[in-house]
Amino acid sequence: MDYFKSIPVHMDFEGQHAAEKFSRIIITLFGIVGLIWGYAIQQFSQTVYILASGFFLASILTIPPWPMYRRKPLNWQPAREGDAASTTKSKKKK
Amino acid sequence: MNSVLQRGNSILAYALSALAFLTFCCFASTVFLNYSTNADIKTVKVLVKNVPDFSASRDVNDLGFLTFNLKTDLTDIFNWNVKQLFMYLTAEYVTKNNQLNQVVLWDKIILRGENAVLDFKNMNTKYYFWDDGDGLRGNKNITLTLSWNIIPNAGLLPNIYASGMHSFKFPVEYTSSKM
Repeated sequence: MDYFKSIPVHMDFEGQHAAEKFSRIIITLFGIVGLIWGYAIQQFSQTVYILASGFFLASILTIPPWPMYRRKPLNWQPAREGDAASTTKSKKKK
Repeated sequence: MNSVLQRGNSILAYALSALAFLTFCCFASTVFLNYSTNADIKTVKVLVKNVPDFSASRDVNDLGFLTFNLKTDLTDIFNWNVKQLFMYLTAEYVTKNNQLNQVVLWDKIILRGENAVLDFKNMNTKYYFWDDGDGLRGNKNITLTLSWNIIPNAGLLPNIYASGMHSFKFPVEYTSSKM
């Protein structure tokens, strides 16, 4: 159980942006290629298959949180020293 | 707010939108094409009987018999947005009962990839050529036309008329039923 919990599942913010961008680019590219190829050989099924392979490729590359999407983690700010009043204030604001 | 499921959802939604767009492109690339072509139709043997129509009213009606030759090449019609053709041969004529009579005598389905160069000789009709009275005997102008209904991947299902047609006349004498 601890082993499963140790698997990182999150992406950082830049990773999320990159993953979405990659998936869009891959699927669009495969769609364009599929349209051209399907028109060239006059088989619309080939267009659909090429788009589907683009979908699977994009799924593999951008759905799992690969380490390349975790390169710029957003770290916690360093804790302030001994300023208890400010923390209570911020709690009240909420 | 960004999890595996959300990313999967967004990719799937985008891929399906792309598929819809590609399908529209396929439709748009074929919607203005001319699907008509020439068909060569000839009747070989034509006769008419006057027999009771037991399938309907049991009244004695005219029943036409004919065999025909059909020659046409539909290969060019098939493109990436045509899955099959439903061809049908229609007889059109005028009687004193009706301005327009249309009877489908024969049909055939051609799937894409099958042989679309048709050359039929002495074909019998598939369906009975019943008139709803005695309008066939001696009728001087029966027009046979070939049409097809295009079944596409996406888009319209147009009925196309072939440019060739054939007119013939029925004999003025009934053939006896003992044939």
